[in-house]
Amino acid sequence: MAERDQGPDQAVITRRTAMLGAGGIGIFSILASRLYYLQVVKAEDYRVLSDDNRFNFNITIPSRGRILDRHGENLAVNSQDYRVVLIPEQVNDMEATLKRVSDILPLRDKTLKRIKKDIREHAGFVPILIDDHLDWKTFSALNLNIPDLPGVIPEVGEGRAYPDNGIFAHTLGYVGRADPRDVEKDKDPLLRQPTFRIGKTGVEAAADKILRGSAGKLKVEVNALGRIVREWPEPADEAVNGRDVWLTLDAELQRYGAELFEEDSGGLAVIDVMTGELRTLLSMPTFDGNLFVSGLTQDDMDALNNDEKRPQYNKVLSGGYPPASTFKMTVMLAGLESGLIDPSDKTFCTQRLRLGNRTFHCWKPGGHGPMDMRDALKNSCDIYFYDLSQKIGMDNIAAMGRKLGFGTAFDIGISGVKSGIMPDPAWKQARLGNGWRMGDTLNASIGQGFVLATPLQLAVMAGRIANGKKALTPNLLIGQDLGEMADLDINPEHIAFVQDAMWAVCEEPGGTAYRDNGVGIKGLDMAGKTGTGQVRGISMSERQSRLRKNKELPWKLRDHSIFVGYAPHDAPRFAVGCVVEHGGSGSKRAAAIVRAMLQRVLERDGLGAKPDEKAEGEAL
Amino acid sequence: MMNPLSSRAGFAAKLYEVNWLLIALVSLVGLVGVAMIFAATDGVWSRGAQQHLIRLIFAAGVMLVIAMIDMKVWYALAYPAYLGALLLLIGVDVMGASVNGSQRWLDLPFIRFQPSEVMKLAIVLALARYYHDLPKWRVSRVSGLFGAAIIILLPMALILRQPDLGTTLLVAATGIAMVFLAGVNWRVIGGAFLAGTIALPLFFRFGLKEYQRSRILTFLDPSRDPTGASYHITQSKIALGSGGVSGKGFMNGTQRQLEYVPENRTDFIFTVIGEEFGLVGSLMTMGLYISVIGLCIWLSIQCKHMFSRLLVLGLTTTFTLYIFINLGMVMGLAPVVGVPLPLISYGGTVILTVMAGFGLILSAHLHRKNELPRSQY
Repeated sequence: MAERDQGPDQAVITRRTAMLGAGGIGIFSILASRLYYLQVVKAEDYRVLSDDNRFNFNITIPSRGRILDRHGENLAVNSQDYRVVLIPEQVNDMEATLKRVSDILPLRDKTLKRIKKDIREHAGFVPILIDDHLDWKTFSALNLNIPDLPGVIPEVGEGRAYPDNGIFAHTLGYVGRADPRDVEKDKDPLLRQPTFRIGKTGVEAAADKILRGSAGKLKVEVNALGRIVREWPEPADEAVNGRDVWLTLDAELQRYGAELFEEDSGGLAVIDVMTGELRTLLSMPTFDGNLFVSGLTQDDMDALNNDEKRPQYNKVLSGGYPPASTFKMTVMLAGLESGLIDPSDKTFCTQRLRLGNRTFHCWKPGGHGPMDMRDALKNSCDIYFYDLSQKIGMDNIAAMGRKLGFGTAFDIGISGVKSGIMPDPAWKQARLGNGWRMGDTLNASIGQGFVLATPLQLAVMAGRIANGKKALTPNLLIGQDLGEMADLDINPEHIAFVQDAMWAVCEEPGGTAYRDNGVGIKGLDMAGKTGTGQVRGISMSERQSRLRKNKELPWKLRDHSIFVGYAPHDAPRFAVGCVVEHGGSGSKRAAAIVRAMLQRVLERDGLGAKPDEKAEGEAL
Repeated sequence: MMNPLSSRAGFAAKLYEVNWLLIALVSLVGLVGVAMIFAATDGVWSRGAQQHLIRLIFAAGVMLVIAMIDMKVWYALAYPAYLGALLLLIGVDVMGASVNGSQRWLDLPFIRFQPSEVMKLAIVLALARYYHDLPKWRVSRVSGLFGAAIIILLPMALILRQPDLGTTLLVAATGIAMVFLAGVNWRVIGGAFLAGTIALPLFFRFGLKEYQRSRILTFLDPSRDPTGASYHITQSKIALGSGGVSGKGFMNGTQRQLEYVPENRTDFIFTVIGEEFGLVGSLMTMGLYISVIGLCIWLSIQCKHMFSRLLVLGLTTTFTLYIFINLGMVMGLAPVVGVPLPLISYGGTVILTVMAGFGLILSAHLHRKNELPRSQY
């Protein structure tokens, strides 16, 4: 029975086994041809893809060059910066990832927006900065969470740091992310790296090409998680680090200048009268450039913008101030060079000069009495210069002003250098559309009215008088091609006369800068000129009753305190220009700063005699 | 002449009669697995290769023991084994540990294993016995078909609940193949095909979990999800394709070194073969499998009884389907359903099941001439 039932089955089952076997062979053939397709026909494509997977070309960012002072002291360096970046193509769920990250490291809405914008604008493999300047605690917390956050990479990068917290901020500028305009102009691939920082202002911007270096291409082998398994350095593709930039500045001297300014606002320039090298270029108050690197908060920004002393404004290069009485040397030289004036002729100062229906005043109540040219500068008599300017005319004065550097924007290699204003009749006609009047000349003769100069220009003016032969040009970057300095083209005798009068201002009893330091600084034989830049109109009634003292005025209305000077008198080495905004009478605040600076810069160059403690104390 | 296959024959003589060619081929496949797991784990012996070898040796022992046991015993155990496997599947449903979101494991005090693996053997035993006992004329009748359908559908439903689409399909396909081999007539086959065509969309819509649907959709349109499910396939194809004709050399596969191919010591182990040994190595591996399958079919033809024959063919079908589904998946021809490459992929219970299956095949061959009882319905 079993035999009967099983018999026929065997035939069916064998037949059907053969069928299934044939089907199996068919499927194996399909699989084999698929393998042939993948491993022979398409092999080359997949080999390329597999190399794509294996290797990424990462742009390596070179170390930015340092900025050093003339002695090699660091002004701008690269410091270790803990930061966290994101590689979008390795992130599974962007929203969730960013949320996880912000649990550890709170991200502001603005930052999130910026991150998302970056992600949209860059290829998926480009690292996007989430945040930098992390503290160690946050950084290690992030590192702990890395296994759960694919694509989020904490790294130690280089960040720009300014060790002096701002004393050099205006000159050095700061670095920041390249904006679309930078990218448009400059095709360097570095600019498209979200972690790259480009010089935005100051030396950082001006010397960016030198400091930046060039991008490296690093072949890296990555696994599917985006972790770098191995690096394949190829010498030809290595990043070339930026070169250092040396400045003519003297960090120590600059710091000293900042100390002297205390809380005051203004600009200070110290220049070598032989070479034009700037030893100090200070604008006060300063701001911390480090804040700009890490990204300003709104509060920081508000604090900077609302400060009436305008910390961000580069006063030494851009600030236009009435040079006031420091302009009188220009008028003197214009008079002497015109040949129309005998310096020994005297003008009688009664404190008043009538011109048409206007009355011009000298600063000294009761007047100076009879004044020749030397005495007029020593005592800063306004009446003498009103008189002198009427005789020689504005065109002569303006021409001399330009010879001394007024109205010129010097090229010191960085931006922000302003030209100030050296007005003349043609300028007024072009600018304001009305004619030059004698009153304008009189105002200009004492450095008021339309005349505006920067502290740098004041230093250059003093430096040119001190040098006497060459039209000194300021410079800041060591190695900058300066060319030959032009001749000053002023009669040396006239220069000597003015130098002597400037010496009298500082070193002769009765000079406007003499009384301020009592006996002067022992061993420092300097020449200079005071200036009091008036920022308000003085009404007739106020003048008739009593001039208000500066202390009684709101800060904004107080006079600018101005001083220019050079030393040593007999063989000038350094010149200084200084404006202390609303610092009160010129000879007090600015003169003290200039004296101290001159003494210190000579000392640092081994030229100054050591003063005794008492004298220095009084000078300050 | 003494019958060497009688149960009274000496144990050594019986051992000698075992089909050693099959054992040699199976062991060779297993050793390929050891080598490839070794490569996939960056040459760290302890990260899988060693374990795989130990499991192979243990499973080979189990295989030999099973081979020695008379076919009568397996015939007697067919239904109890099936019922036991069903109970285990229900047990998983009630108290199974969840791994990767699906309940497939049963945590017993000493071992953790997948009852669905046991079911792969049990269903073949059950169906083989069912058709062995079933009079020939009832095979295509409603009553005959109904019994087979129950045997197939019960475990399918339970495994699908876990959810494990790959194993469900494997069990279903094996069952259908056995019904086909048993000789259902072409009218029934045609009708079943028609019914399947209608039922498939409904099953797709209602019978599958969301992620299973998504995998199938992704397989049909890889651009749906370039980083998710189809990422596996894309990376796997890159690994295979970049191997070219001759491969990158043993231990030199860059894709697997870089962890581009996920699960590359388990389900995607074939990518390591393809990348490191190229088309030559891939075809040789396939050739090895074909030899095993062909030998099994040859052994089945020598069997005297329906039970032994169907048992061998059913087990061979399961083994073959494993290979087809896995290779199809790795080459981007089938959806990612998590089916290992038998004997080569790392993973304990699968080795044991497959080797136990070969044990049954060897036993069927060894006892091919013996009489078997037949239950009457």
